[in-house]
Amino acid sequence: MLGVARLLTSRLNHTFALSTSRLSLLLGSSSSSRGLSSGGVRSKVEAVLNLEEVKKVLSDLRAEDIQIIPVKSQCEWTDFMVIATGTSTWHVRNIAQALIHKVKQKQKGAERLLLPSVQGHEGGNWVVIDSGNVIVHALDEKARSYYKLESLWLTEMAPKGPNQDLEKALVKTRRKNNSKKSVEGVS
Amino acid sequence: MRTNLKVVDNSGAKRVMCIQALKGKKGARLGDTIIASVKEAQPRGKVKKGEVVYCVVVRAAMPRGRCDGSEIKFDDNAVVLVNKQGEPIGTRVFGPVPHELRKKKLVKILTLAEHIA
Repeated sequence: MLGVARLLTSRLNHTFALSTSRLSLLLGSSSSSRGLSSGGVRSKVEAVLNLEEVKKVLSDLRAEDIQIIPVKSQCEWTDFMVIATGTSTWHVRNIAQALIHKVKQKQKGAERLLLPSVQGHEGGNWVVIDSGNVIVHALDEKARSYYKLESLWLTEMAPKGPNQDLEKALVKTRRKNNSKKSVEGVS
Repeated sequence: MRTNLKVVDNSGAKRVMCIQALKGKKGARLGDTIIASVKEAQPRGKVKKGEVVYCVVVRAAMPRGRCDGSEIKFDDNAVVLVNKQGEPIGTRVFGPVPHELRKKKLVKILTLAEHIA
């Protein structure tokens, strides 16, 4: 049974399956192979990429204008957003490759590699590396000025308090009885 | 096919009509890419009426099961315009978008979204 679980997780390995592979190893065979929605489950294992490692790799590659934004208060699916600019498409792709290389180095010797997912590699315009708590965006100059990601995440969004309209709608209220008719009591 | 969908980014289009679902015999679901024709567009936008564009479905009225047993469904069918390489054409996405996009490798749309369901 354990063997079956291993087979299934290795298939999911090359997609973003952080929480899936770890949790199914812990729980053993009975947990299903269906991918766990990563938004719902916050895995308690350490992120595949740490913030300091990302900073180091980016500064080694001389990526320009590195910005780290803690978005823990704003969104539930990630903790940090790192935005970096590359000089050309080749540079942007290189940043992505270097981060993957760093992850592979870090996990050397483990029997199963857990790679973060890379999106946008072919285009070279905007590469996103999704590794659980940290999301790295590597853009080039044009894309950065076009999408303006900082203005989206740096400005504090209004804190999403409990939706008051919804609460009011769900509370049952009795109508006020203003009629002059006397109520006959049941005695 | 021929489903009218709302466009929820600021790329200029307002309504599109699906002309092909790229994956799935029974049609596209939440998170799938479709080919659509722009039926209604804002006068000064990045796309014009009659253009054929690729889109990603971000809200669907059909309930989609999540792996913890719950289901999510929205009140409308909405779509985000994307180019052939998968990069969003608009710069902001309005309204809620579901978590399912992360698993489908559409983190770019998630970062541009304002609210994630």
